[in-house]
Amino acid sequence: MAEREMAHRVFAREFNDSRFQISSSSDVTSQADLHAPNFLVTTAGAKVNRLFIAGVITEVEDIGSHKGGEKELWRARVSDPTGTFTVYSGNFQPETSVFLSTVEVPSFVTIIGKVRSYEPGDGSVFVSLRPEEINHADENTRNRWMVDTAELTLDRLDVFEEALSSGISGMELFDHLSLKNVPSHIAEGVCMALDFYRTDRSYIQGMRKHIRDALFSIESSLSAVSGDLFDTEEFIMDLLQEMNGGKGMEYTELLRQAGSKNIPAVSVEKTVRSLLSEGHIYEPKVGFFRAIV
Amino acid sequence: MDERIAPHVEEISRALGNRYAEEIRIELEKLLQFKVPLDEAKRTILNRFMSRSPTSVQVKDLVSGMNSFDITGRIISIEKRTVTVQGEQRSVFTGSFGDGTGICSFTCWDDMSLKAGDAVRIKNAYTRLWNNRPELYFGKRSQIEKLPDGMVQGIEEMSHQNLKKLQDIAPADVVANSIVVIVEMYHRDVPMKGKLLTITEGVIADETAKLPFTSWTPLKGADIGSFIRFEGATVRIFRGLPSINFSESTAVSVISQPEDLPFTLESVSKASDPVPIGKVLEKSGIFDVTVAGNIISVRPGSGMIDRCPVCNRVTQKANCRAHGSVDCVSDMRIKFILDDGTGSLHVMLNCELSEVVYGKSMYEAEKMALESISKEVVYDDMKRVLTGKYIVIRGNSSRNEFGVTLVAKSAWYPNTDLKERISSLLERIEGKVIDDG
Repeated sequence: MAEREMAHRVFAREFNDSRFQISSSSDVTSQADLHAPNFLVTTAGAKVNRLFIAGVITEVEDIGSHKGGEKELWRARVSDPTGTFTVYSGNFQPETSVFLSTVEVPSFVTIIGKVRSYEPGDGSVFVSLRPEEINHADENTRNRWMVDTAELTLDRLDVFEEALSSGISGMELFDHLSLKNVPSHIAEGVCMALDFYRTDRSYIQGMRKHIRDALFSIESSLSAVSGDLFDTEEFIMDLLQEMNGGKGMEYTELLRQAGSKNIPAVSVEKTVRSLLSEGHIYEPKVGFFRAIV
Repeated sequence: MDERIAPHVEEISRALGNRYAEEIRIELEKLLQFKVPLDEAKRTILNRFMSRSPTSVQVKDLVSGMNSFDITGRIISIEKRTVTVQGEQRSVFTGSFGDGTGICSFTCWDDMSLKAGDAVRIKNAYTRLWNNRPELYFGKRSQIEKLPDGMVQGIEEMSHQNLKKLQDIAPADVVANSIVVIVEMYHRDVPMKGKLLTITEGVIADETAKLPFTSWTPLKGADIGSFIRFEGATVRIFRGLPSINFSESTAVSVISQPEDLPFTLESVSKASDPVPIGKVLEKSGIFDVTVAGNIISVRPGSGMIDRCPVCNRVTQKANCRAHGSVDCVSDMRIKFILDDGTGSLHVMLNCELSEVVYGKSMYEAEKMALESISKEVVYDDMKRVLTGKYIVIRGNSSRNEFGVTLVAKSAWYPNTDLKERISSLLERIEGKVIDDG
């Protein structure tokens, strides 16, 4: 019995750059048997059949009814900080189609899906995902996916670099990488990607830079969500409760106090607005705030 | 004929690293005589030769189903037995064989005039699964070459002095020696030939792994926290997991001063850091392993289930496979596939763990099912709650026909600091990007 294909973690950019499809790995004589899975070999050497992605669903389109046909077909776009995955769900994926027809955009989702590719015939290849499972997610799940994917991709890029600097290719390279304890699916993918795409060092470096930018993007949101915003809120509430006499505390004074604690004015403003709307504080006079106790 | 198939022989041979050319030619000719299409014939031959182990192997690397390999070692023990094969009496020779990396059991189908202590190289041996473990087989189709005695470790050294770390105890091993600490221990009475025998069971550990053990003789002076050194313990395999057995022939000694051991009772008792799932899949089974990943699919069979009150089997429509129509007992469980990007495995959660992970008690789930007159509703709800979630699981893994399954002993949603991981990844990228100029 065939082992289950694992779900790879790949960023949208690398995925969308890829167009090399193979039907099966061990099959040298190309007569693939019916159940052999199809793989997409990515530019940086991941050999994927199934993907796990977490991102923001930004767009859902019912393209089945567009053409007036009876076929149900939903197209969704799910983005990560490096690019966008295209997802198609049709009649044979009833559960995911129902999900897509009702999902709110934008929102965080996780998708497990199989890789599909479409060749219009002009030499171009469009890769997409056909979902097996799809579910709501939260920002934390997305962030963790980003970090996991970054780590796994960086590991693979290191192998790729090793392959590039070794100067060998084909079976020889595969053996060389296997000796270095590289998992066989990665060694195989790297060998094939090197052969097909002629991926070079500048692409690998570019990929690293994209990953860096992606990590930066969530790093700042992490500190805003879990760290600063919460702290700012606590800080302002403490301050206001302390100065709760009279007509309250003046906003400029609040800004000055916050500034001395290195809290930027923008986040003070944001916090004050959210505290106001949540009813924790009120404005007895324009420009003055008091805590509700 | 020859000229026509020569390029194909060469092609197959090349795919196998320029080996077996002559054998391939014979096989290919034979298949073509049977009018097998050329492509199919080539595929068949390639598959057959691919499964051959290329060169010589060691005992520690033996797994079942290996064919035509060479192995060098020493016959440790050998005895002649008579077995009935297809109604025919036949003598076989069985015993144990070691090479310094481990000791396995073997069966030799023919009288090769071997005796205990012989140092040999066996060519064209194979392995099959026997008593849950890979066993070495050879017979008259194998060539046996006697080697000078000094080329292979002595019996005494092999069976008593080669200490192994627990994680290195391989499925083929029948005997093991190691230094470990006892982390769990309890006594149990078992009926044995009409008498009650008190045996000691528990768990031993070193810095590499934990394994269950059973002692059939009293362990004098040993308790939880004791460091012991054992020699000549027998290894049994259950569901791919080795278990260590101490008997009268095992030398077990309590070590009072565990000097320069890389582990302590505390260090082995902690939940270890998550292991990449790809590493877990390499093993046929691991005792007490921690993995972390995303739940990528909640499998059918999760949710509310009915069990037979007698045998605990899951029932279908109130019918037990063994006990017919029964009054079922309700239970809840979750089966899912966990994937961390290096591999995926099945995870089984019992009722208590399901409640923790799912966030609803069995009582609530039962009520949900009653209200909607369908048990599917619980399964659907579990999928909604769990799919995509990141989770840590600790338990025992074992390989079966469906892949590797991990039966969970505990499960939790981790609260790791992503910021720290991000900064270390960023540092790693900076290093590379700057290197490049």
